[in-house]
Amino acid sequence: MYKVAVVGDKDSILGFKALGIDVYPVIEKDEARRVVDTLARNKYGIIFITEQTASLIPDTIERYNNQMIPAVILIPSNQGTLNIGMDMINKNVEKAVGTNIL
Amino acid sequence: MKVGRIIKVSGPLVVAEGMDEANVYDVVKVSDNKLIGEIIEMRGDKASIQVYEETTGIGPGEPVYTTGEPLSVELGPGLVTTMFDGIQRPLDAIRAIAGDFLTRGVEMPGLDREKKWHFTPTVKVGDQVEPGDVIGTVQETTVVLHKIMVPPGVRGKVKSIEEGEFTVVDTVCVVEGDKDYNLQMMQKWPVRRGRPYARKLNPDEPLITGQRVIDTFFPAAKGGTAAVPGPFGSGKTVVQHQLAKWADAEIIVYVGCGERGNEMTDVLMEFPEIKDPRTGESLMNRTILIANTSNMPVAAREASIYTGITIAEYFRDMGYSVAIMADSTSRWAEALREMSGRLEEMPGDEGYPAYLASRAAEFYERAGKVVCLGNDERVGALTVIGAVSPPGGDISEPVSQATLRIVKVFWGLDSSLAYRRHFPAINWLNSYSLYQNKVDEWMDKNIDPDFSKNRIKAMTLLQEESSLQEIVRLVGRDSLSEGDQLKLEAAKTIREDFLQQNAFHEEDTYTSLNKQNLMLKMVLAFYDEGKRALDNGVYLNEILDLPVREKIARAKFIGEDKVSEIENIIDELKNNIDELISKGGILDA
Repeated sequence: MYKVAVVGDKDSILGFKALGIDVYPVIEKDEARRVVDTLARNKYGIIFITEQTASLIPDTIERYNNQMIPAVILIPSNQGTLNIGMDMINKNVEKAVGTNIL
Repeated sequence: MKVGRIIKVSGPLVVAEGMDEANVYDVVKVSDNKLIGEIIEMRGDKASIQVYEETTGIGPGEPVYTTGEPLSVELGPGLVTTMFDGIQRPLDAIRAIAGDFLTRGVEMPGLDREKKWHFTPTVKVGDQVEPGDVIGTVQETTVVLHKIMVPPGVRGKVKSIEEGEFTVVDTVCVVEGDKDYNLQMMQKWPVRRGRPYARKLNPDEPLITGQRVIDTFFPAAKGGTAAVPGPFGSGKTVVQHQLAKWADAEIIVYVGCGERGNEMTDVLMEFPEIKDPRTGESLMNRTILIANTSNMPVAAREASIYTGITIAEYFRDMGYSVAIMADSTSRWAEALREMSGRLEEMPGDEGYPAYLASRAAEFYERAGKVVCLGNDERVGALTVIGAVSPPGGDISEPVSQATLRIVKVFWGLDSSLAYRRHFPAINWLNSYSLYQNKVDEWMDKNIDPDFSKNRIKAMTLLQEESSLQEIVRLVGRDSLSEGDQLKLEAAKTIREDFLQQNAFHEEDTYTSLNKQNLMLKMVLAFYDEGKRALDNGVYLNEILDLPVREKIARAKFIGEDKVSEIENIIDELKNNIDELISKGGILDA
């Protein structure tokens, strides 16, 4: 069984706990990176990560982009969206169908 | 002897009639200029003669004198450090009487008849001697102790022997056998016949050349055969020069056969200045040069190879390890082709004579590790390394193919590597050495028990690199996993920091086996440690950005006396990786 986790600043992600998702609050870069890498190794199938946190660790996001598991999915935080998540989806769609249909 | 008469001249080929007393392969003197020639074909009383000198101005009707002897070389003290032409005329001495370029009909004995050598006997009056037994020694140069041997065919009791200063033609020893033999320090031997030996051994010891790609990946054995084929400008000559400079043979015979004159000049200028790492003496003190550059007569080119190998065999018989470099055997084959064409023989592939393969085999088969004649069971080795220049670099041509069938080591030079400035441009994917197993045993025993394991590992990385490169060409580097990207980087490190070697850098030009072993360990440690870091969650970029990589790249310039610094680099690498893991990796994974 794969598990689902969410990573980001505490205020944005605490609500996920109510859905039964594991919550991993992080503040700075190295910590975020280590948490994501550890989760990836520990059978987490989906990792939600706030865009603010993701923008600190682009290498890590890139690393799991090419792997099927875990799926690292960017979500907006309580501060609003940075549009990185949407851009990534657009890029993936473009790769899959050859043109941007969204 | 009867005097023959020329009836036809065609370049270096002269046909003479009235030669019924001569035999094939006899040396003759052509015309009153006394040009030296050799009979290569007899039909009735007509002899076809290849003339080792320019035949301009020779016409039918002129005389041909037979000597009744086959083409021979003079073997004795005075060979080492001398430069000869293809038929063993000393070029220095010729220059003194004839000027800078060879003139015709110059006769000059191969060995200096005036010079006196100090002969020290090693046998006593009354001793029984057999062919190959050492009767005395002469210190020829500071590093070469020339052993005077009983020539083949002579056996008996020593009747008298003297110590003192003698020329090469003075009698130093009288042997009483079925008749009295007066032995001189010099003996003669026909070049086209291999010198006899007691028995052949299997070559099992590597010829250490100080060239990393050769010693580690494609070693030649002492007494083995190797070929260096490569297109123009790929560095055949530099490889041959490097081998002549650094190979751990006791005698080097370098045959410059049909290549540029300035390449021989390089040898003449450089060798006296370079110090042999083993003896500390000038390299020239163990070198014999045979020069038949591209502007010298073609027929003598054919002979130069045989002259060289006969001299080499003579030193092998003393129990030395000898290496002969022939640069290039393609010119020799072309000389064969030219003569064959003028003889109107039926041509084979690309016009080469049908007997090209058997001649090439005959030459390379004279190599070997042997137990020499003589009572002391000396072991000598003769290693033959031939360059081949296939036109256009295409080794499917006859000379390369004929050579590859015989030799056991193939160092394939690659023009694309040379173009990328990867020298020595030996292609690691298609080169091979059939001595590998034997040499692996030797290396594991004498250098490091892990040596062959490391070599195989490095070679595997290089092979995986080439298949990964194909994927990279199709879909780009970023689509590879980090593990594969690390593999590419590690292979690049092996290529750039291990295989590439600068022949013109003071420290890099020669690498001892000990240093090679450490360097190989170092470049493999980069891969192993990198892999360990990746497994622990460290990012590839962080590994690649380590400042210690700079040190790995510079390790080849570390002097031979400070090789332990390489071990420090390995330790530093390990520490750096440990730091990376503790900083960014996942320790509890």
